[in-house]
Amino acid sequence: NKSKSFPWFGMDIGGTLVKLVYFEPVDITAEEEQEEVENLKSIRRYLTSNVAYGKTGVRDVHLELRNLTMCGRTGNLHFIRFPTQAMPRFIQMGHDKNFSSLHTTLCATGGGAYKFENDFRTMADLELLKLDELDCLIRGLLYVDRVGFNGHPECYYFQNPSDTQSCVKKPCTLEDPFPMLLVNIGSGVSILAVYSENNYKRVTGTSLGGGTFLGLCCLLTGCETFEEALEMASKGDSTNVDKLVKDIYGGDYERFGLQGSAVASSFGHMMSKEKRDSISKEDLARATLVTITNNIGSIARMCAVNEKIERVVFVGNFLRINTVSTKLLAYAMDFWSKGQLRALFLEHEGYFGAVGALMELLKTTEDP
Amino acid sequence: MAFNGHQREDEGIDEDETPTKQPRSEKEMPGCFKTEPHNEASASAGRSTSERRTSNSTMRHRADSVKKTRPPFPWFGMDIGGTLVKLVYFEPKDITAEEEQEEVENLKSIRRYLTSNTAYGKTGIRDVHLELQDLTLCGRTGNLHFIRFPTHDLPAFLQMGRNKHFSSLHTTLCATGGGAYKFESDFRTMADLQLHKLDELDCLIRGVLYIDSVMSSGPSECYYFENPTDPDHCVQKPYTLENPYPLLLVNIGSGVSILAVYSESNYKRVTGTSLGGGTFLGLCCLLTGCSTFEEALEMASQGESTRVDKLVRDIYGGDYERFGLPGWAVASSFGNMMSKEKRESVSKEDLARATLVTITNNIGSITRMCALNENIERVVFVGNFLRVNTLSMKLLAYAMDYWSKGQLKALFLRHEGYFGAVGALLELLHPS
Repeated sequence: NKSKSFPWFGMDIGGTLVKLVYFEPVDITAEEEQEEVENLKSIRRYLTSNVAYGKTGVRDVHLELRNLTMCGRTGNLHFIRFPTQAMPRFIQMGHDKNFSSLHTTLCATGGGAYKFENDFRTMADLELLKLDELDCLIRGLLYVDRVGFNGHPECYYFQNPSDTQSCVKKPCTLEDPFPMLLVNIGSGVSILAVYSENNYKRVTGTSLGGGTFLGLCCLLTGCETFEEALEMASKGDSTNVDKLVKDIYGGDYERFGLQGSAVASSFGHMMSKEKRDSISKEDLARATLVTITNNIGSIARMCAVNEKIERVVFVGNFLRINTVSTKLLAYAMDFWSKGQLRALFLEHEGYFGAVGALMELLKTTEDP
Repeated sequence: MAFNGHQREDEGIDEDETPTKQPRSEKEMPGCFKTEPHNEASASAGRSTSERRTSNSTMRHRADSVKKTRPPFPWFGMDIGGTLVKLVYFEPKDITAEEEQEEVENLKSIRRYLTSNTAYGKTGIRDVHLELQDLTLCGRTGNLHFIRFPTHDLPAFLQMGRNKHFSSLHTTLCATGGGAYKFESDFRTMADLQLHKLDELDCLIRGVLYIDSVMSSGPSECYYFENPTDPDHCVQKPYTLENPYPLLLVNIGSGVSILAVYSESNYKRVTGTSLGGGTFLGLCCLLTGCSTFEEALEMASQGESTRVDKLVRDIYGGDYERFGLPGWAVASSFGNMMSKEKRESVSKEDLARATLVTITNNIGSITRMCALNENIERVVFVGNFLRVNTLSMKLLAYAMDYWSKGQLKALFLRHEGYFGAVGALLELLHPS
């Protein structure tokens, strides 16, 4: 039971964000501490005593998994993210901290594991162990759900999603999780039908994802970050921007069960100069959010029906701090399926790929 | 690469193409005539009318028997959509001297106004290239005209109806589309006109099946693109919609409806998407400052969407082989636009192109899922989003072909967005 040498990282290099999970051992013996090489100690201290790194790196402290046992060691699992654009600086840091001398394997997934493979080698003398992002996603997700979130459930859903007054978040577990439809909303979207841990297929995807929301918002409102875009969206009214069924029918389109409040044509009012001059940036941000979210919901629903799966799990960093979208998805699944489908969400949203990569490093079965 | 439609293109329809379709035999005529057992119009339409003119007496006799069931002129079909009003007007060409004498003044004036102009007011347009000549409908022979104007200008249209005392003609105005419901009371109060409201999807299907079956001099109604994945050899080809069922019908207007059609009277609305033609135009106006559909298309034809979109290769450095995603596929539409640097480096044309490609590919993707689920191989795309929009048509043809590995075929119809109005006209003439 020779354990892998520290540090233990899992890395997911996505289209927009790099997700990094780091296992911080807390059961280091006095002997081990004495033998610990300087740069390893410095990495450990740097990561655990900061919550921000450089200008754009962030440690999501609220997501930390404490006193986890992995591969016979006890420690805390930390969740760190930074923009993929800052990758060169990260690699440079790996070079400066002499990371390669630690002879550790760096397990990486996501498209960037392929795109930056060479850069890791030439700039920091590091060899990546490349893993498929969807394999890692599923592995990581099942693991975190099994170990739980510091004694609380990882998974949740919304009760009464169609009722704004009584809509409430409720915990659940993914016990007996299969089959499940997994919708990963990152820069783009992948939709997977998962039948068991090792048996899944990528049903389809859509290019209208989180990157579309942010890109369009930046263009339409002048904002620059995801947080700004969400802030604006939370204050806007998309019905000023979208053409609803009632704008075309004067009410419901009863024949096919389309309520007057349903969107018939997203951004449909914006062909009118008068209306363009009357809406706010917040309205545009909201309409963008609603359009992208509802499109994903619609496609997910079609897949769920096609694949005959009732449980739809939404993950990915598009949903980070994005209650508007999670509630919209919960509502859409429930409403359009007349209660047949249930939308589920997970607290660690976009980190599962990185967790899965870490697990590949350890090839461990967890101790509960 | 054809995937974003960016290629050397031969825009426009090949007008000199010889239709390969043979004239239909009687029994293949569409069911719209099934309620009229003595209706000689079911014998043929279009070309063969001239044969029947020689047997005048027979025709006159039979014409009298249907006269009772034939509505008075003028014959209109109207589809009031979210963005455009589509109007079809039947102009009789077989008016006898007697009939002409009896014809009331305002009816004559309406006929003259519509047929001697190709533009009406500031925004009304008659699509002359779509006119169907020598059509026989309900025992009368004439030309079918196709007219459109923005729904925004409906009040002006109603005012005109009032000024021309349209209501005194006591004709039924068959109307479909959401506006038939929304503006019903406006028709009544502003022009004293009672609308006969019809469902837009019923009319759409009825109209599609009718128009395709009609023989006319000119190109085939239905066509597809051969070699859609090869920009240098991609060419438009006629297609016969014989034995059309089952069919997936994708109607791209302001929004999108997707129908699975099993027979003329058996269809279901599979799903829809709110990301339609209205989204394309709305977003384009916001992003580029353009004001019309034509301007937006013009810009799009000159732009490069790959500057705006984040492709698989931008994330993977190449293909995502494991799941068969080529490097040139779009991973995240507008995904490059979160970078200030990239925002400053793209043009309005690039943004227009990206908007077109995004909307079109999304429709294509959803359509493909429906086709798969409904087990249907033939997909017909209609609606005015495709008007003068070869870029989107080729993109759709390409997407259907590529992502289904050749299993699905994308078909298009020349009369694009007018089928609802045609269906409404048919309901006037042959109530179901």
